[in-house]
Amino acid sequence: MTIPTLRLTNVAKTFTTGGGSVRALEPISLDIRQGEFISVIGPSGCGKSTLMNIVGGLIDDYEGEVQVDGVPVRGCHKSIGMVFQEESTFPWRTALDNVAFPMEALGVEREERLSRARDLLKLVGLDGFEQRFPSELSGGMRQRIAIARTLAFQPRILLMDEPFAALDEQTRLLLGDKVLQIQQELSQTTMLITHNIAEAVQLSDRVLIMSFRPGRIKRVLEIDLPRPRSSKMMGGERFGHYVAAIWEDLREEASKGLQEMERLRAGV
Amino acid sequence: MAAVEQIGRAGRAALRPFWTVGRLRVAALVVIFALWEIAGASGLFYRGVLPSSYLVVWALLGLLTSMDFWFHAGVTGLEVLVAFVLGCSAGALAGLMLGANRYVGAVLEPFLHYLAPTPKIVFLPILLILFGVGMGSKIALGAISSFFPMALGVAAGVRQVNPVLLRVGRTFSLSRFQMVRMIYLPALVPSLATGLRIGLGISIVGCLMSEIKLSRMGLGFSAMEYYRVFDIPSMLAVLIFIFFCAALGNVAIDKFVRLPGPHDRQKRKWSGFTRRFT
Repeated sequence: MTIPTLRLTNVAKTFTTGGGSVRALEPISLDIRQGEFISVIGPSGCGKSTLMNIVGGLIDDYEGEVQVDGVPVRGCHKSIGMVFQEESTFPWRTALDNVAFPMEALGVEREERLSRARDLLKLVGLDGFEQRFPSELSGGMRQRIAIARTLAFQPRILLMDEPFAALDEQTRLLLGDKVLQIQQELSQTTMLITHNIAEAVQLSDRVLIMSFRPGRIKRVLEIDLPRPRSSKMMGGERFGHYVAAIWEDLREEASKGLQEMERLRAGV
Repeated sequence: MAAVEQIGRAGRAALRPFWTVGRLRVAALVVIFALWEIAGASGLFYRGVLPSSYLVVWALLGLLTSMDFWFHAGVTGLEVLVAFVLGCSAGALAGLMLGANRYVGAVLEPFLHYLAPTPKIVFLPILLILFGVGMGSKIALGAISSFFPMALGVAAGVRQVNPVLLRVGRTFSLSRFQMVRMIYLPALVPSLATGLRIGLGISIVGCLMSEIKLSRMGLGFSAMEYYRVFDIPSMLAVLIFIFFCAALGNVAIDKFVRLPGPHDRQKRKWSGFTRRFT
């Protein structure tokens, strides 16, 4: 039995606020293999971002244990890289300098970090845009810079928190293809948080479906579609079958979430 | 399509409106000078209050060639420079502390907030006692004036740093020092530039006001002297000189304290400093 790249053991989180405490995450245990692509999908308020922030180290007071290659880790860690949903490029740096950022922090020499940054920009399809500033690029291009920047950190595990949420549908699909290609080229272990079902099926080896609050894993679905994959598979019969299966599970949770939101808004 | 291409360069020049921004600016200046001349000649004002612009230009030339004027200009220049540097650096430090520590900020910021817009000239009597009638009291007033906008601006700037960028820094395991150098400092450049620009203006005001109130040298003093002997052209010439220097200072701040960005591609010359700074 090989050691999993990422192992979560009974990871749980309760937020304490002035008024009381909210159980955000029921104990979750999970193993992720080297090179595997996992998606976590669930309704708003299911604690998927909490899970992401725990694994990424931005939340460090949680129950349970996170292991990378069999070694327990807590807090921000060199082996885990994150890509955020929001605009996160540094507006005062060119595309190239943005990608070089983590290597600069690690003390990699200028020549080397720039040449590696150039390679990574090429990998995400942005060669020729090295000297452009984020304000001169589209949202999809900026998000690719953010992905390349996180890859420059050479993390064992790439965490992506709805990285395409702010993009339009077509861009999202094309970027999904790009992410697949990168993941296959680098054999990058990846965990993606999303609420887009098609995206989860398109990209993942396994999809984790989470329940509404308190978050727990409702079901794990193996996506047995051939690789290499692309967005062209979306019309396929099996693709549709997976999407339907996930929606069946998700529907109930999402409507619970919606009711809860409406109740909150009505102040009942 | 072909027809459009045939219009070419000459055609595009013909389509461009005559009143470009540059030409409008020149026209605005011409109109202002014309109004000045008309108002001066109309007899609506006491004779001499609004002298003809050529008299003012003449007086300005006279000033620029006199050693006496340059002595006064030097005094005021030195006062403003020292006041500006002291006030702004103290303000920037205070702003960093207020912004970085939520409790310090919550306790002290209301004081700063309500003190900031009060006229600092009310402190002049105390400053005269503390630092004397010479340059000391002028520098003190200028420094106090420029401290407030800088401190408030930087404190607000620290709190407005995009939280996602800070999270990015944390996930890349940046040290505290790296966070400041690689994220906070560049993110603060716009607030620093604004603070410097307001600080410069207000330290000039502080120094000149206290010179006008009580002093034996400086541009504020010489403007008042010209007023006393009713040499209005020379007085206006001094004011124009001050105005010009202040504008020049603002241009310098705009050019040097700015972040790298697309604008650098046109103006390579100026980008060196900020590039190294960030």
